[in-house]
Amino acid sequence: MKSLLWIGVVGCLVLVGVAMAADKPADGRELYKEYCKSCHGPNSPHGEVTPMSLIVEQWERFFAEKLEPSHRSVLDPKHDNRPVLEVITPEMLKKIKEFAIEHAADSEHPMTCG
Amino acid sequence: MVPRLHLFAVAVALLLPSLPGQAREYTHQKYFEHYEGTATCLQCHAEEARSFFHSQHYQWRSATAKIVNGGGKEFGKINVINDFCTAVGPSWIGLTNNSRGEAISKGCSKCHAGLGRLPEPGESPEQLANIDCLMCHAAGYNRDLYQRTDGGWEWRPVLWKNPEGLDSVAKRIGRPTTTSCLRCHAGSGGGPNFKRGDLEYAVTERDRTFDVHLAKDGAGLDCLDCHGGSDHKVRGRGADLFGDEMPDRPLGCDDAACHGSAPHTVEALNLHTARVACQSCHIPTFAKADPTDMVRDWSTPAYHQEQDKWSATITMAKDVVPVYAWYNGTTRAQLPGVAVTRGRDGRVGMMLPQGDRSDPRAKIYPFKRHLAKMPVLVGKNWLLPIAVEEFFASGQLDAAVKKGAEEFYGVKDAAYEWVETVRYMGISHEVVPARGALGCLDCHSPKGRLDWQALGYRGDPLVAAMRAAHGKR
Repeated sequence: MKSLLWIGVVGCLVLVGVAMAADKPADGRELYKEYCKSCHGPNSPHGEVTPMSLIVEQWERFFAEKLEPSHRSVLDPKHDNRPVLEVITPEMLKKIKEFAIEHAADSEHPMTCG
Repeated sequence: MVPRLHLFAVAVALLLPSLPGQAREYTHQKYFEHYEGTATCLQCHAEEARSFFHSQHYQWRSATAKIVNGGGKEFGKINVINDFCTAVGPSWIGLTNNSRGEAISKGCSKCHAGLGRLPEPGESPEQLANIDCLMCHAAGYNRDLYQRTDGGWEWRPVLWKNPEGLDSVAKRIGRPTTTSCLRCHAGSGGGPNFKRGDLEYAVTERDRTFDVHLAKDGAGLDCLDCHGGSDHKVRGRGADLFGDEMPDRPLGCDDAACHGSAPHTVEALNLHTARVACQSCHIPTFAKADPTDMVRDWSTPAYHQEQDKWSATITMAKDVVPVYAWYNGTTRAQLPGVAVTRGRDGRVGMMLPQGDRSDPRAKIYPFKRHLAKMPVLVGKNWLLPIAVEEFFASGQLDAAVKKGAEEFYGVKDAAYEWVETVRYMGISHEVVPARGALGCLDCHSPKGRLDWQALGYRGDPLVAAMRAAHGKR
């Protein structure tokens, strides 16, 4: 009886953990990997682009002026071929932008997204 | 490479709008249009390039007037053996991956302001073209290691495939900032603050209680405000460094332009300044943000699963209380190709401050005392370097020691044994405001931090003076 109780407690804890992990908002790096790298990874026909491909000024210009016109007709192969600009919510886009700028080529911590 | 470069250029061109006239104004905006490597800088700065070429920051060696056994020769990290990553030669440049294919090391040249060639003593067009001016002078410049088509390695700007971005960064020329200095000087020895202990990335972020000189709400100084010299020569020499580029302009707190020789309002404190260095009281501890390497045992490999990387067994410590020793501005060094000498403690002195109580030029200074275990060649008793790059990946220590011996001395299949070493490293940064400095009882009490006998006294000299004043023995 006691062991059944323990199994129940552990099971609940696992379920709570899974639920919490699912609720945890993805950070900019994860979002970049999920939504950008699928088309802009190494050897991609669309060209590899990582945060350190551009300087901060270029990223700011890109998000302000170029993202929408250049991705208007792009479908996301990782998400049922839905339009990428519908798949990425404004909140997600904000995080992706912050990640790209924080790790731009002229930042203190330039990086790829792994 | 070319097709990939084209692909990237197309991607960038598609990503970026053409916005002529909106480019930001940088210091070198008007001097050139496109950055084409060091040649662009040399068009106007050939003299500066020559002065840098001859500097310690490029040569990694210099005259050794302050090394009592230097023998008039030039030494520096390029041609000696140290107790951190041991030697530059066998580990200059190249990519070392772990078993997962991740880069774990790129060589010592990562922190050399050159594009990958080993510095040579003689000036040549190739050596001048090897200087990477942007590394110290361009804000926002970053570089990485790339393999050339001939199989060799070189450092290139990470923006080498993005000419517009590179042009922008290359025009942001200025005096080196604390941030650019710390990129190498705080990251040496294998990780943040591993080597020096008192030079941490945190100095640019913390308030004046962390470092009263460098904090923005303190004096707000940059490294070059104190260390700036002329012709790319730098003022100041740490006690465990070989070179002194500007012996005619020594750097000290008591410089008349800074604090003078009697900076205290309490005369009893001014009485100390003749024999006690300012740093001894004003740097109570170091390694206040990141722990520092205090012991590096190369005889015992350690595996780090998270990084999938091998290293020596390193003992780190934080908030370290310095050790104190007399220092007259000169140092005895353990030189390569010279039989090791053991001190009374049985340790080989890698860098030992000179001077004692009877030396009028000596003062009591604070030090980081770094201990290590290093290989020596049986018979000759020469210190051996370790080819650390391969060892980081494989953990094969014996092979790495033998490769180091062969590359450094030409000795094949070296027989070696292990010795314990000690290095005294001057502590001069992380100075706290006056109210945080040591008080009288920190030294003059039964539990004081000074080892009076080690300093050449019978006991606390204040106690002796008071006894004498009161007629007691």
